[in-house]
Amino acid sequence: MSPELAFLQALNGISFGALLFILAAGLSLIFGMMDVVNLAHGAFYMLGAYIALSVVRTTGSFWVALVAVPLALGALGLVVEPLLLRRLRGRHLDQVLITVGVALVITDLIRLKPDWGAEVRTLPPPDALAGSIAILGNDYPVYRLFVIAFGVTLALSLAALHRRSRAGALIRAGVDDAQMLSALGVDTDRLFAVTYAIGAALAGLAGVVAAPVLGLQPGMDVEALVLSLIVVVVGGLGTLGGAQVGAALVGPADTFGKVFVPQFALFFIFAIMALVLLLRPSGLLGRIRVIR
Amino acid sequence: MSRIAGLRPRVGGLRPRAPGFVALGLGALALVTFPYWSRDWESSRYATTVLRDILVFAILALSLDLLMGYVGLPSLGHAAFFGAGAYAAAIASQRLETEALFVTLPAGVLVATLLALGIGLFAVRASGIFFLMLTLAFAQMVFSFAFQATDITGGSNGFAGVRRPELFGISFSAAEELYVLVAVSFLATAFVLWRITRSPYGRTLVAIRENERRMRALGYDTRAIKLSAFALAGALAGLAGALSAYSLRFVSANDAGIGTSITAFVMVLIGGAGTLAGPAVGAAVVILIERVLNSYIPFSQTVLGVVFVVFVLAARQGVVGAARTAWARARG
Amino acid sequence: MSRSTTTNELAKRRGYTYRLTRRQFLIASSAAALAACGPAATPSGAPATASAAATAGKPLKLGILLPFTKVYAELGNSMKRSADLYIKSKGGKFANRTVPAPIYEDEANDPQVGLQKTQKFIDQDQVDVMLGIVATPIAYAIRNVVDSAKLIFIETNAGGNALTRATTDCKPACKSKYIFRSSFTSWQISNPIGEYMASKKGVKEAFTFVSDYGFGTESQADFTAGLTKGGGKVTGTLKAPLGNNDFLPFVTQLKAQPTKDIYSFFSGTDAIGYIKAWNQLGMSAAGYKMNGAGFLTEQDVLKEVKEQAVGAITSLFWAVTLDNPENKAFTDLYQKEYNLLPDVFAVQQWDGMRAVDEALQKLGGDTSDKDRFIRALEDTSFKSPRGDFAFDKDTHNPIQDMYIREVKVVGGQAVNVISDKIARVQDPGK
Repeated sequence: MSPELAFLQALNGISFGALLFILAAGLSLIFGMMDVVNLAHGAFYMLGAYIALSVVRTTGSFWVALVAVPLALGALGLVVEPLLLRRLRGRHLDQVLITVGVALVITDLIRLKPDWGAEVRTLPPPDALAGSIAILGNDYPVYRLFVIAFGVTLALSLAALHRRSRAGALIRAGVDDAQMLSALGVDTDRLFAVTYAIGAALAGLAGVVAAPVLGLQPGMDVEALVLSLIVVVVGGLGTLGGAQVGAALVGPADTFGKVFVPQFALFFIFAIMALVLLLRPSGLLGRIRVIR
Repeated sequence: MSRIAGLRPRVGGLRPRAPGFVALGLGALALVTFPYWSRDWESSRYATTVLRDILVFAILALSLDLLMGYVGLPSLGHAAFFGAGAYAAAIASQRLETEALFVTLPAGVLVATLLALGIGLFAVRASGIFFLMLTLAFAQMVFSFAFQATDITGGSNGFAGVRRPELFGISFSAAEELYVLVAVSFLATAFVLWRITRSPYGRTLVAIRENERRMRALGYDTRAIKLSAFALAGALAGLAGALSAYSLRFVSANDAGIGTSITAFVMVLIGGAGTLAGPAVGAAVVILIERVLNSYIPFSQTVLGVVFVVFVLAARQGVVGAARTAWARARG
Repeated sequence: MSRSTTTNELAKRRGYTYRLTRRQFLIASSAAALAACGPAATPSGAPATASAAATAGKPLKLGILLPFTKVYAELGNSMKRSADLYIKSKGGKFANRTVPAPIYEDEANDPQVGLQKTQKFIDQDQVDVMLGIVATPIAYAIRNVVDSAKLIFIETNAGGNALTRATTDCKPACKSKYIFRSSFTSWQISNPIGEYMASKKGVKEAFTFVSDYGFGTESQADFTAGLTKGGGKVTGTLKAPLGNNDFLPFVTQLKAQPTKDIYSFFSGTDAIGYIKAWNQLGMSAAGYKMNGAGFLTEQDVLKEVKEQAVGAITSLFWAVTLDNPENKAFTDLYQKEYNLLPDVFAVQQWDGMRAVDEALQKLGGDTSDKDRFIRALEDTSFKSPRGDFAFDKDTHNPIQDMYIREVKVVGGQAVNVISDKIARVQDPGK
């Protein structure tokens, strides 16, 4: 492999990694705050992509979708959390289970909606990002570079929010000890609802950004869910840094794995995950958490 | 059967009295002989196949429940052992050119057990979500092997032409006889698990789930015990797999795939983890909704999702748990 | 073994009236309880006698197994539309048999489910003819079941070679006298184009890029054999895992190798991802040429990638632009009914229905003698939207013309324009 080819493949890998970070951020946030593995994450992602499809068809603008979809999914999160999850507060396993039911219903309804579900769809990137530019004398899609930029910006701004803002302080405190937070007079119901809504909004955002790359089709929900689970587990559950590290490792690894050992492509990233977990049982940046 | 293995609130459980045993025995007999006494109904054959598929999955769900409900290890890779059992039975029959049940069935169980020992050695070091993801990862490797090793497994095209077994001159090639084999296997599995969960060993498993550190402090080698449970669950899943191969005369890579793992997982949860009847009921509910109800309505998956939500909200111990609570209430 | 007695037993049981069995059924088991909801949606039919000659005039029960969920759902929908339209266009009658709405079942792209539903067609619905199945593994899975139940099955999509061939030990499948196919084999859509490229277009070298599963591998091998026969050679191969979500790394690799003619087999989502990555990396401008089996640029793909596929050369037995009276009538009818262009899946289903219809005309509607039914199907030939259609009497696979098509923009729309034809392509059968 020539250096030039290696560079291009590395670029492919980084852009896939950026995509994975966007995909996994919401899952990581919800887990960190609520100790709930939100198995509806893939369904939220899928719903986001299909709403984006409708928004782009009606308004003709990708950018409108980029704003509207997270709002819509956030609103859905604000309904789902109080309606279903709150009743099960303190029963983490049941909270995880109920998200499976939510996912089953959402994906089935998407399939049944005539202009959405069954067909294979694509969402074209916005015109401004649709072309290719020359990199080392090769055409390279601008949209992939946008994905990298978007992923990095999202990571930086989430990190800044996390460290600097009051919401971030609450979340950090909540991750450490939600009960204590409640005792201090913080409305944890509201905090959890908002966290869940943000997590859902991030899943929807991922749906919009990923749609021009990965397309829309039945089954995309499970794929997205498994990929984001791998990312957060490899990086370390429930920490933003974990999702970043996980994505930065898994994205390029997947790309190079496909190219170098295509016969193992089906499980290359699973093998990496298994290896990481065997060496570091709580992920690369994970702290050992005792959840009982 | 519903009140054996009482869990969570009541470890130990009540002892079925004599009338209970008689009713249970009659029920078991009726189950095993279903295709014969239903013979005259128009739908007997179809009902027999559906019931057969339910029982195969019930064995799989029961075996998974040993891990999820008793040891507290949620596996999302249980299909690996189901698939391994199915392939091993099919391949043994083809390579050794035999239909002998006492060759192909043990082959399926043995391969699944060995695979479970191998995977379990690593997997039981983790717990919770990490255990879940590790089992998923290993199962995915098994799946891709099945999917790609065309010379051995038939690859993506699947393994066709599995022969149905025979035992000491009794052939299980007809639908009715095969059903009996499956039903007897199911009852045997349920019985074995019943004995195990009521034994000191079974209580050790529950104790590990409740407080592994204390058990370790008491001198138990918890990792070895968890591994033994993992291997046992794998063996029973392999049994289910072999029966599936006989039933369908076909093994597909999907049998070892994530879809089958999720199905088994959902069956255990709907029926109620940590009970014996639960996974069987869960298997019936899921198969009836996904494969029978879906012949008549287009949105059966939505129904399944709603059932799921309702049971998690209203009956946290699944169908069986809810029934037990209602029964207890009725008795005052 | 005892399978052979199935039909007799079924015939015996048909003597029972419906109501009684239903009540018993409800009492019996929860399994049966749900199944009993069925007759509301399925044609229950009057109690019939078992006497053989009496099938003429009885409603014709069709069981159609298609994917309505999972990744191939849209293919299933398209084929269902086509089947319904065919029956409607015949006024609900084939010969003297009324044809009620077929019983549709969802195979969910899973062999286990497909097998279970096939068993339902045989045991519960007792259909006269079964049609459908999109994915090859499912067709292979049910092969033995329909064969031993002596159920006539018309495969309307899956193209795995083995289903209509003589193979060693019937692995992974083999032809059956009860199985016909109204679609194609992967040999038919892959081998002739290879030979054509080498002998007619002077392509001496090609590189192959396919999905890494049975069907992709088969297509790649058949293409390679064809190209070699025509005097060309394949310089290398790249395989993408099934359900691969990102094609950029693969197309990057393609661009890093020197052979300009690329042959590929992808369909649906994969085809869309591949064609998009191809454009993003400027492959055409760099002199690379896209070739493939026809599904690479069928309508489901073209409507999403549009002019990005321009220049791709593929072979298939049909194109929506194909100029013949039958195709015009078919596309007009389909468009009028559904306000949609038909796709190749609709054509395959249409011809499958047509074959049953034609055979029934020959038999005067009497389907009781399976061997006569099979002979009638074997003798069936007609003008299809794809051109002349006839079954190969030995394999039951269609003998059909392959069209070489190039994607061009016509009237502002990207369509497959037919540039050449390879006449009467017949699968070698082994």
